[in-house]
Amino acid sequence: MELALEGTGKEGKKESSKKHTLSGSPVEGLLQPVKLSQAELYKEPTNEELNRLRETESLFHSSLLRLQVEELLKEVRLPEKKKERIDAFLREVNQRVLRVPSTPKRELTDQTWLPAGVRVPLHQVPYTVKGCFCFLPPSQVTVVGSYLLGTCVRPDINVDMAVTMPREILQDKDGLNQRYFRKRALYLAHLAHHLSQDPLFGSVHFSYTNGCHLKPSLLLRPRGKDERLVTVRLHPCPPPDFFRPCRLLPSKNNVRSAWYRGQSPPGDGCCGDFSSHGFSSPSGSPEPPTPHYNTWVLQDMTLESHVQLLSTVLGSAFGLKDGVALLKVWLRQRELDKGLGGFSGFLVSMLVAFLVSTRKIHTTMSGYQVLRSALQFLATTDLTVNGISLCLSSDPSLPALADFHQAFPVVFLDSSGYLNLCADVTASTYHQVQHEARLSMALLDSRTDDGFQLLLMTPKPMIRAFDHVFNTSFCLFAACHRLKLWPELQDLGGDYVSAALGALTPLLEQGLGSRLHLLAHSRPPVSEWDISQDPPKHRDSGTLTLGLLLRPEGLTSVLELGPEANQPEAADFRQFWGSRSELRRFQDGAIREAVVWEAASMAQKRLIPHQVVTHLLALHANIPDTCVHYVGGLLDTSSTGEEALAAAVRCYDDLSRLLWGLEGLPLTVSAVQGAHPVLRYTEVFPPTPVRPAYSFYEHLRDRASLLPRPDKPCPAYVEPMTVVCHLEGSGQWPQDAEAIRRVRAAFQLRLAELLMQQHGLRCRATATHTDVLKDGFVFRIRVAYQREPQILREMRSPEGMISLRDTPASIHLERDTRHLPLLTSALHGLQQQHPAFSGVARLAKRWVRAQLLGEGLSDESLDLVVAALFLHPEPFTPPSSPQVGFLRFLFLISTFDWRNNPLIVNLNNELTVEEQAEIRSGFLAARTQLPVMVIVTPQDRKNSVWTQDGPSPQILQQLVVLAAEALPVLEKQLMDPQGPGDIRVMFRPPLDMYDVLIRLSPRHIPRHRQAVDSPAASFCRGLLSEPGPCSLMPVLGYDPPQLYLAQLREAFGDLALFFYDQHGGEVIGVLWKPTSFQPQPFKASNTKGRMVMSRGGELVMVPNVEAILEDFAILGEGLVQAVEARSERWTV
Amino acid sequence: MAARRRKRGARDSEPGIPSPPGYSAIPIKFSEKQQASHYLYVREHKVREGTKSSWPQKRTLFVLNVPPYCTEECLSRLFSPCGAVQSVELQEKPDLGDSPKEPKSKFFDPTPVPGFQVAYVVFQKPAGVSAAIVLKGPLVVSTESHPVKSGIHKWISNYVDSVLDPETLRVEVDTFMEAYDKRIAEEEAKAKEEEGVPDEEGWVKVTRRGRRPVLPRTEAASLRVLEKERQKRARKELLNFYAWQHRETKMEHLAQLRKKFEEDKQRIELMRAQRKFRPY
Repeated sequence: MELALEGTGKEGKKESSKKHTLSGSPVEGLLQPVKLSQAELYKEPTNEELNRLRETESLFHSSLLRLQVEELLKEVRLPEKKKERIDAFLREVNQRVLRVPSTPKRELTDQTWLPAGVRVPLHQVPYTVKGCFCFLPPSQVTVVGSYLLGTCVRPDINVDMAVTMPREILQDKDGLNQRYFRKRALYLAHLAHHLSQDPLFGSVHFSYTNGCHLKPSLLLRPRGKDERLVTVRLHPCPPPDFFRPCRLLPSKNNVRSAWYRGQSPPGDGCCGDFSSHGFSSPSGSPEPPTPHYNTWVLQDMTLESHVQLLSTVLGSAFGLKDGVALLKVWLRQRELDKGLGGFSGFLVSMLVAFLVSTRKIHTTMSGYQVLRSALQFLATTDLTVNGISLCLSSDPSLPALADFHQAFPVVFLDSSGYLNLCADVTASTYHQVQHEARLSMALLDSRTDDGFQLLLMTPKPMIRAFDHVFNTSFCLFAACHRLKLWPELQDLGGDYVSAALGALTPLLEQGLGSRLHLLAHSRPPVSEWDISQDPPKHRDSGTLTLGLLLRPEGLTSVLELGPEANQPEAADFRQFWGSRSELRRFQDGAIREAVVWEAASMAQKRLIPHQVVTHLLALHANIPDTCVHYVGGLLDTSSTGEEALAAAVRCYDDLSRLLWGLEGLPLTVSAVQGAHPVLRYTEVFPPTPVRPAYSFYEHLRDRASLLPRPDKPCPAYVEPMTVVCHLEGSGQWPQDAEAIRRVRAAFQLRLAELLMQQHGLRCRATATHTDVLKDGFVFRIRVAYQREPQILREMRSPEGMISLRDTPASIHLERDTRHLPLLTSALHGLQQQHPAFSGVARLAKRWVRAQLLGEGLSDESLDLVVAALFLHPEPFTPPSSPQVGFLRFLFLISTFDWRNNPLIVNLNNELTVEEQAEIRSGFLAARTQLPVMVIVTPQDRKNSVWTQDGPSPQILQQLVVLAAEALPVLEKQLMDPQGPGDIRVMFRPPLDMYDVLIRLSPRHIPRHRQAVDSPAASFCRGLLSEPGPCSLMPVLGYDPPQLYLAQLREAFGDLALFFYDQHGGEVIGVLWKPTSFQPQPFKASNTKGRMVMSRGGELVMVPNVEAILEDFAILGEGLVQAVEARSERWTV
Repeated sequence: MAARRRKRGARDSEPGIPSPPGYSAIPIKFSEKQQASHYLYVREHKVREGTKSSWPQKRTLFVLNVPPYCTEECLSRLFSPCGAVQSVELQEKPDLGDSPKEPKSKFFDPTPVPGFQVAYVVFQKPAGVSAAIVLKGPLVVSTESHPVKSGIHKWISNYVDSVLDPETLRVEVDTFMEAYDKRIAEEEAKAKEEEGVPDEEGWVKVTRRGRRPVLPRTEAASLRVLEKERQKRARKELLNFYAWQHRETKMEHLAQLRKKFEEDKQRIELMRAQRKFRPY
């Protein structure tokens, strides 16, 4: 948390980058413009070079992408050396597994033969099963899966081994009533017991194969330093052709209700009213089908044939293997491949095989092209409607795709035609995959430079990807009862989380309707457990987390319009919404069923999904709202108030109309533009109309103004909102800078007069602006003349040539009168498109300022960073809630490489791809002259005006560090099902790094109530609660802490840095600059606050620290409570 | 903390306060309450031969390190025991003061926030300077009889001062503009008079306002002319007409690709160093 203060300004940066070089990074970690000699550029090309160039052109997007993909593959691939070690380990495993001794035959229910140190890795409910079991060494042990194909990717290297159980263990009809799975589990338990005694293995654990609770697998890891190298997973499987596939069709039942429930089923296996799966049993048959159960048995039978298929397809086609590896990374970054029903790497490999078989992918394609084609296919094909099949035979005895569609939400058949590879994938998972694929395709097509980074290197955890997230726990079993999901439970072997999920997602999707873009769920990763422990319960497998991606257009309505009362659908509607549905009469005369949610403000409207979710879950699934942990508005405490901002903007609109219609100005008004954060909806605390209590103030009658009184607490802070008023150009304007200022002043006076006369507004004019009081809001109108910056820029060379050179005055003026209004109107427009913009921007600013870093980062630069989140949301979608926007703000701040990249904010989409490339190369060439943080907009392509005055490299570094620390903490807090605790922790700054703390008296902090920990009581600020006759100008812009800081910075700016939270901070942090504490020789120009000391016979200058500490108190007399010197660092 | 106190104590007991060569040090503090003090470094104002300075030689005291709460009146009061003070000027940096100062307008040149400043104190007699140099101090800025405002009181009085009278502003603007208009009118009249009239050597000055206006002499205008020329030439040129041109374009394309490739390689190198290729 220490501020890296190595010198000031640019020096510090150089130093730190030098350090970088020492640690071996090339060219100081900074990109340099490439210089190639003429000879190198124009030498004759070799054949090889030409070939490579041609290949790059045809197979990849650009050479950069090609290099990036190559690097990535190098990183995730298993190196040859490790492969050798793994192979050796596998041979050992193979031998040992084959040597495990056999056991005599026992009844399945008699498990006394199992040694004490091992438990059966399966919930045996119900316990009684007919059948016998004995252990015999496997008939065959083979490696299957990605390791064999060479498509496994780091970090988790798993090797799957199929252990074929000998035929003697199994009996006829073992497929029935989980008998096969019981035997499988016992087989594993015995294996585990023997292998755990072997010194070869560092750890022997159980886990569920892909999260399926009926199918445990055994995890083996080598002992010693290779423990993390590889995990070998043993999957027992039946001998080939043991089960007849036709017994395992999706419509067949293999778990008898009588056995499962210990009684006969009541009624006809009805699945509840909102079941998605179409599990309805064939009428007449009392037994519901068990498609998932059947699939799990089938999966074990086809392990080997799948590997054979994949190895023939992928075989020696390196491009395909690369593509599969890339797809796996892609899925992993999106957390799609985890848990039961994840879109696993195996599925993707099969998908590639399918695409090869349909000639969508050719074996000569590059990895990048494979990735692209697969994504294209996923984006455009809906497997929930049109399933696909790898099966080529047209045997009429094979089941039809339609049968599978009836049983499963997503259909992708393997080459046998019996097995649905996507059996466990839910419809919402597949839709999420589709959504991601579509986003990625759009990203690849947009030809941005950093597509690779966004596509494959940016993680998308759920909390950061979805607008609202909620998790439910504990009550799901009750929900299954309520929803009558007995057949599903029977099919899924009692996994009630999956059963409930299947029913709840369509329910919520229907309820959220137009508010929802995408509903996704994530399953906790599959747990591992020690072999001496019982397998984890369904309840322990973690909570079920659902994410909502909201549609901003749908969020504004509070009404759920139903059918007309006399329609037959009305009953359904009533039943769906329960007591919330009411009959309402609408303006057009229609009488309809409708649901109205209570939401007064925009922030509450955004949280209507919360109301919908809790209502529906309670109504249909008996899940009380205490069991639903909804994360969506937890950060809203400091960001509500969109309505107040809108009121201020409306008042501004009125004022601008008045200005347009003003009569009697010598020149006409050519433009009225807002130039204040309020007018682009990004002011952290929106202004409220001022109603001053006169007795609280001193009066200046002749100028109709109120003044603060020394004996009272500081009056409320009123910041005038700046409005720039451009006047038309005319020959009457003088062509001299000084004269223009005078003419402008005359216009300010005239404006005040006219507004007073024609509209009765209280005005106060000065030379540079006119303050106008309208409806309690104060506006500061600045008259501007378009050509004034131009005139300030004119320089006459000795030859009489007039050239234009930027001067500080011209830059300043241009920024205030040209860039700022443009930015304000562009961001105002952005807010209309993305209603969450205001919330995110204000939350982000509040956080930065709460960390005491508000001074270094201008209002506008932070607004632009937030705008970038909305304009360039890739790989996400634009945020629709302040919470997710803020998390992404922290992520952007903590990961963006400011040194080598400009942040391009393409407002109104004005910059073309070519222009952006040009900006990037221009940036590299001019890097050393540019500020540390460069933000480019279409109006400001070179200079980055808003970051010219800061932040310094140290402040930026500090911000990056703080953001990187805050993000994981905050995400963890938000996702914590026990409740988020105190979110404000994020906003409290660390104070232990400052050398001096100056404590301020709350009496003179006008914005005291805005503090992060809002005080329970503060001082009266001279405001009335009711509107009174308000004709005097209130006290404007009077903020003692800011005035004090300005003085401190002016007087001691080269000795120390001052940090303060302008929103009610009670403390100023002071950090001495170590460089200025070095003793220096005497210089007349550099004596500020220093004193001369003789040091070793030489006279040197050092800061007069004790006097300075006293100065802190003197300059802030009345405001400063105490000055605490906390460190001895400055003793010289 | 205690150690530092002791050190300071020892320093105070030394005869004389260390000061840079040529200067003498005078301790100064805000009020009697303060423990530590700042030091003014003073000397006689001297300039090298031939340099002009608006401050009178011999009578001017040059003061360094004036604390921010010290105003001009205040300095004048503190130095008056040494001799009658004629004027005091506070500045941000040492300055010879050779350019005549324009009178500042309180409307158009707002007073900046003061930091540590330098001062030129002009005494009526040279004796004042020599008396000031041997001043022992410590000087006290704010006393019972002459309190100096700081903190809240100061900011409130600043705020009151910032509420200005618009009438005076109007008068000031009007006088300035009158003078300006007059000056411009004079210049124009003079230009009109000179137009077309040859000077002694027979040269005639040509201006924009003449009967046949010429291009204004600005950088932008000359660039515009050059650009027009370039376009004209480009239009005449044939592209990819001769075989050598064809060859050259191809080579140029290749060179572009090579350059891009080098850039990309560098980028990759950097990213690898930052471990940007590890997706976990």
